[in-house]
Amino acid sequence: MERKAAVASLAVIAAYFALAGFIHIAEAFDWQIGPTLWRQQAGESYSPPGADNIFGTDIFGQSVLRKTLYGAKISITVALLASLISIAIGVPLGAIGGYFRGFVDEIIVWIYSTLSSVPYILLILAFAVVLRDRSIFGHKLTGITAVYLAIGLTSWVGICRLIRGEVIKHKNREYILAAISYGCSRRRIIFRHLLPNVFHLVIIDFSLRFVSFIHAEVILSFLGLGEANRPSWGAMINDARTELSRGVWWQMAAATAAIFVISLALNIFGDALRDSFDPKLRTRVERGS
Amino acid sequence: MTHYETRTRQAVVARQRRCGGVVIWIAAALAFSGCRDSARNEEPNEMVLHHVLHSKIKGLDPGCMRDVYSIMVASQIFETLYDYHFLKRPYELVALLAEDMPQVSADRLTYAMKIRKGVYFQDDACFPNGKGRELKAQDFVFSIKRIAGIEYISPNWSLFDDRIVGLDEFREYTKSCKNETDVDYARPVEGLMATDDYTLLIKLKKPWPQLVSAALADISTAPVAKEAVDYYGRDIISHPVGTGSFKLNVWRRDSYIELVRNTAFRGELYPSDGEFGDAEAGYLDDAGKPIPFADKVVWTVIEEYQPAWLLFLQGKVDATVVPKDSYGEVMTETGQLTSKMRHLDIQLKTFPDPSTFWLGFNMMDKVLGRNKPLRLAISRAIDRRKFIELFFNGRHLVAHGLIPPMMDCFDPQIEQKGYARCDLQEARELLMQAETTYGAKLPPLKIAMPGTDTWMRQYGQFLERQLNAIGLQVEVDYMDRPTFEEKLNNKGVQIFASGTTASIPDAIEFLSMFYSKHAPPGPNKFNYSNPEFDGLYEKAQVMPDCPERRELYRKMEIMVLEGCAAVFLNHRVAYVLHHDWYKNYKPHAFAYGLSKYRRVDLKKQAAYKELQKKAK
Amino acid sequence: MSTYIIRRLLYTIPIVFGVLLLTFALFNVVGGDISFEIAGGTTTQQTIDEIRQEYGLDKPLFLSWDSQFVNHFKNALTFNFGRARDREPVIDKIKRGIGPSLAITAPMFLGVVLISVSLSLVIAFVRGTMWDMLAVVVCVTGMSVPYLSFILFGQYFLAYKWGLFPVFFSPDLSMARNVALPVLIGIAAGLGGNVRFYRTVMLDEMRSDYVRTAFAKGLSPQRVLFKHVLKNAMTPIITRVVLAIPFLFLGSLLLERFFGIPGLGYLMVEAIGSRDYPVISAMTYMSAILFVVFNLITDICYLLVDPRVRLE
Repeated sequence: MERKAAVASLAVIAAYFALAGFIHIAEAFDWQIGPTLWRQQAGESYSPPGADNIFGTDIFGQSVLRKTLYGAKISITVALLASLISIAIGVPLGAIGGYFRGFVDEIIVWIYSTLSSVPYILLILAFAVVLRDRSIFGHKLTGITAVYLAIGLTSWVGICRLIRGEVIKHKNREYILAAISYGCSRRRIIFRHLLPNVFHLVIIDFSLRFVSFIHAEVILSFLGLGEANRPSWGAMINDARTELSRGVWWQMAAATAAIFVISLALNIFGDALRDSFDPKLRTRVERGS
Repeated sequence: MTHYETRTRQAVVARQRRCGGVVIWIAAALAFSGCRDSARNEEPNEMVLHHVLHSKIKGLDPGCMRDVYSIMVASQIFETLYDYHFLKRPYELVALLAEDMPQVSADRLTYAMKIRKGVYFQDDACFPNGKGRELKAQDFVFSIKRIAGIEYISPNWSLFDDRIVGLDEFREYTKSCKNETDVDYARPVEGLMATDDYTLLIKLKKPWPQLVSAALADISTAPVAKEAVDYYGRDIISHPVGTGSFKLNVWRRDSYIELVRNTAFRGELYPSDGEFGDAEAGYLDDAGKPIPFADKVVWTVIEEYQPAWLLFLQGKVDATVVPKDSYGEVMTETGQLTSKMRHLDIQLKTFPDPSTFWLGFNMMDKVLGRNKPLRLAISRAIDRRKFIELFFNGRHLVAHGLIPPMMDCFDPQIEQKGYARCDLQEARELLMQAETTYGAKLPPLKIAMPGTDTWMRQYGQFLERQLNAIGLQVEVDYMDRPTFEEKLNNKGVQIFASGTTASIPDAIEFLSMFYSKHAPPGPNKFNYSNPEFDGLYEKAQVMPDCPERRELYRKMEIMVLEGCAAVFLNHRVAYVLHHDWYKNYKPHAFAYGLSKYRRVDLKKQAAYKELQKKAK
Repeated sequence: MSTYIIRRLLYTIPIVFGVLLLTFALFNVVGGDISFEIAGGTTTQQTIDEIRQEYGLDKPLFLSWDSQFVNHFKNALTFNFGRARDREPVIDKIKRGIGPSLAITAPMFLGVVLISVSLSLVIAFVRGTMWDMLAVVVCVTGMSVPYLSFILFGQYFLAYKWGLFPVFFSPDLSMARNVALPVLIGIAAGLGGNVRFYRTVMLDEMRSDYVRTAFAKGLSPQRVLFKHVLKNAMTPIITRVVLAIPFLFLGSLLLERFFGIPGLGYLMVEAIGSRDYPVISAMTYMSAILFVVFNLITDICYLLVDPRVRLE
């Protein structure tokens, strides 16, 4: 039963990623198909869900279904890039700190303790506000880029702590001592021996963090950051604040449903991963134990 | 015990724990409810005016206030030398704290004003024995010098910059003082003097026809007692000491302001004459009676429109604007009040205010600046009527020019001149011309929007759709206000959405936005530079109101329209609803201190609950 | 033990310094110039320069005794937070905001902790059964709905349509009425993740050897749960609970913004939007101090609860 749930979740996740990827490609090659046609007028302004528009239309008569599908691109991209950034920063720092200890470790711990003392939302807001309109390597930062950079730059702390803890634990294990004794370079030890043994944690953390990043995009939209020119789930939910008083509920429902499904899938899948990687952490319980 | 019994036991225990949790929470909630008692402590026969503010007020110190909400509240506490007549239209300035209109010298550089005798500051702890003292001409001198002081950092300084003889030198002098308290306000300023206790003399550097309307009727020149400034120091923002009909009683910063009748008020009478039609409308029913009528004026801060609307329907607020999303509840398709509103005896007042909103062009931009066909194409592509319909329930007026209709220099023929016509075919042709002028394919244009909320985003999307329809690519950039202002001042925008409301019945404010010497950080965010325009502006700047000046204004407006420095979109029309018991509410475009004229019909107010039940 | 505490205290100094550095860097070096706005939006270059001078914005950033950073540092150490942009002392704003913030977060926190710990105990008891699975599904569902949707949903149905609660903060009503709905929504939204967490904690304990021994010895499930499991699970529970306390003071940003409750979270969002640097820096500083203090308290609690730590 749990097996089936996990497989189904993986399928859902794959579907979302495929959709996001498809939209990226379609935009790059300028294909006019499905979600990329979200701008088209599909009906009257604010028409409710019906035969011709399953999820209804918004203020400009644009199809909410198309907007919802398009929103997958934004959310998945944001969450993916933010995850990658936080892993790219957190894992090496954690490994280095955990392995070398000493002064280097103290600095790394100081950095992430400082960052975690500042309220998360404040950090993200500050980073996003500050990063807007700056250029990195000559590439201009748009609103949404600033957002995922901001999320990534502030979320690496968790994975860093995790990796550091594990590296410290593993450092004194026999296989590492053995590697040192026959003269392995430190870099080899870290990357070839230690990290593969702790990487499963990274994967589990990734899947759970992904959910929080998708939800973060919603909150950041509410606070005024995030993608404003393209449909995004966060923007759709945010618009609902005023729309609900007119009785227009379908934008919010569609976006919430879309987020709900992917979050559910990721949560179930993350649990399944955790159970399979480390039996000791199993959350499923057999009867009688 | 059996397995079943232990399970129920377990469940019972768990439930008990949960109940315990709930009990603790309820207790905490009750405890907290004791912390805040209801704000409504009113006597049964007290007359109270209830208003809603949609934003917190920033402070109650007239010298440094600039935001509308603070001015709304402060205008009931403070008075100025001159103010607008409540009822007369066209808008007329009348003497309030002054005895009469100023005596102006022949060269129009010297203004002499007599201060009314017998005006007293409210009773306050800063005065000896707590009794407010009589207002003197020196108080006006002090207030204006204070604005000039560098440590005070008043946003109103720009009003007086380079205007009054000797005032700029005074400002230089204050730079050498360490604190506000070190400034010697007795230091004489040649152009700002009290020749005796009741005579004020102002000498200007060059003629300033708007001195009375823009400065002496503006809240920033309301007299402030030096005793209050010395006593309260920087806390004066929450301890206003004025001469007006109300004084501050309670101010809970984030939520609630209460003013009460000023017992030391010298007394004033409700005007006995007004506009044609005022008598029929009932505005003269209280003619000659002593004001203020109300005992208290109360503002509640409610930032969202929807909850404020609900409070209005419940009768807890006297007046409100119609929220965009409840429009259908209020107005029928034909522009009448719905039966629901009529059953509740709710009145509607429509009121065009002197405002204009636009999409501005940065004339120094490489793409837009020298490409008039491009700018014209944008202007032709935007359907202003559709814009007003989608975003303002069709209430506002299309802006065919720069100057709003209620200004007396407004050209009734301006619509025929067709600057605001929407013609997609023409737009496309102009766009092709623009490409030829540019010499290559046009890059996507950037539009800067001063906000990131839903309304702004929909507005931006609307513009995108309209311009995409003629084949023009745009990128809309949403930013918060401070970033927007910064970008405008750094000339880093191409197209920007903005607007303004006049604070005086004189179109000079609109025209000063196109004067080349007012380039950012001045008001000319368009970076528009036209020597011919500048010449006319400099002439008009020093002219008093007369037919020639009106001609000049119109000429300047045409120049701006021809030069296409902006796409003018709409003039705002406010739809205000108020309850039938709220009397003497006549919308006024420029004066704020009108609570003293309002009266509540207490019987009708008490009967409202019955009315509500019947209407259900 | 006292050396441990002293060492931990010393550790807090570089962290506080780090926080000050961070806020300073973020908002000064990269944040942008607010002198335009202070000048009133329409002014001359001269006025802007004068304002910069008055605010000390023309002083060097770091490398002098009178630099902006040094002043920032001095002010923070003496808790001199200065005045906000609208000239009200920042400390007054903070004092005003704490009450409403706590009015939401305290009941919410208590509710969530009490309910989730209790529920997790119950679930630990019925582990493996259908009820357990149902609970997991409900929790994961709760965790998968975006917070904003919870709020919107709650506000629309419970307040707007069915009129059970006020739609928005109204100074008219008592505080309890005003915060009832936000607290309810906050609890509902927070239960999912918390119940799951505590369930995991409880189950981990349940699987350990000493529990199996206890059951083998014939102890009743209640005794096992309350006397052994709960006590041993206290460590992670305490960590989570105590570390959450500093954030109580900051208020729930979203709930406050949505319902207009004038607390610290609302203040924070407004301050960031208007670049009100004194307010932002004061609040960040205070939250850092609170965080650091409560970290210390958590560590001390560990010492008391877990003898193994003492021996380290």
